[in-house]
Amino acid sequence: DTTKPVEAAQPTPQLDSLRSARMIQRIEDISYPADIASPNPALNRTAPMGKFRYGKDFLLQFETKFTEKPSINWDARLKETVGDTTEPSSAR
Amino acid sequence: TKPNMSEDETKPTNDSTKSEDEVVTVFHDPQNFNVKHPLMNEWTLWFTKPPSGKGDNWNELLKEVVTFDSVEEFWGVYNNITPTSELALKSDYHLFKKGVRPEWEDPQNKHGGKWSYQFKDKRSAPIDELWLHVMLAAIGETLENDNDGEVMGVVVNVRKGFYRIGLWTKTTGKVIPGSGDGDVAGGKGRSAEKSKDVLMGLGKKFKEVLKLKDAEVVEFSGHTESAHSGSTRAKAKFTV
Repeated sequence: DTTKPVEAAQPTPQLDSLRSARMIQRIEDISYPADIASPNPALNRTAPMGKFRYGKDFLLQFETKFTEKPSINWDARLKETVGDTTEPSSAR
Repeated sequence: TKPNMSEDETKPTNDSTKSEDEVVTVFHDPQNFNVKHPLMNEWTLWFTKPPSGKGDNWNELLKEVVTFDSVEEFWGVYNNITPTSELALKSDYHLFKKGVRPEWEDPQNKHGGKWSYQFKDKRSAPIDELWLHVMLAAIGETLENDNDGEVMGVVVNVRKGFYRIGLWTKTTGKVIPGSGDGDVAGGKGRSAEKSKDVLMGLGKKFKEVLKLKDAEVVEFSGHTESAHSGSTRAKAKFTV
């Protein structure tokens, strides 16, 4: 996409962060907050730089952290693909 | 809903507002993080719309929804898409490695097969949780070992009498012409024994992710066998 739809909403701060964040290269260097369980290092002993395995329990911790729509035009994208199940209020 | 923020805060850059080596994950600050968690592969979520009954063909019903490459983006998708339990009958979600269409005919699937299990008691199957756990095992790359190279994608089918979850593989344990001499999925350098072990290991892991009891049997069948039998109920090649 090179052009933005005219009616496009502004990205939220969370979506802005998703777009501008850089990919973690060395996961063993990240220090997580005390209430977060770090990734299991045993899963990544042979992983190439910047490519990691993650166990279910680590991944589930993100569920309540990244909750916003993953793109500005998400509702339109969903309507075009999955259909209208999510937006009962939209016009038919 | 747009928060009242200064220009500096709304446009994060690698400038001087924060020290350059300060690493902020979504756990430290969900609104203002500067690193994200890469996935080993890029994944594409597809959706099969139920037929309208007007003779639409499968290709028009199969829609590419989104491609993502980070853990954060996966959750943005998952948290904002219709749960499997709310989909109409004859819907499917497919989560496949980027570049692989979730069809038997795709060059990367045509020599392959799938492990699958039908949940026949739809009311008691926690399908949203089961499908989530299968997706997490796929994107977290915990279904297979380094260099197994079998996993193509995972799929959930919503049908009248059942939910079915499948794990698609690149091979059925045989050499694929043109795959080279290496110890890779379909390669001549991988023995028949190892090929079978890899597929059986995947099946066991899949069964574990689905939290099935020993007596509940997960079946593997080749796609072309399914195609030739005219139904997806082809006889199982392996079971775990």
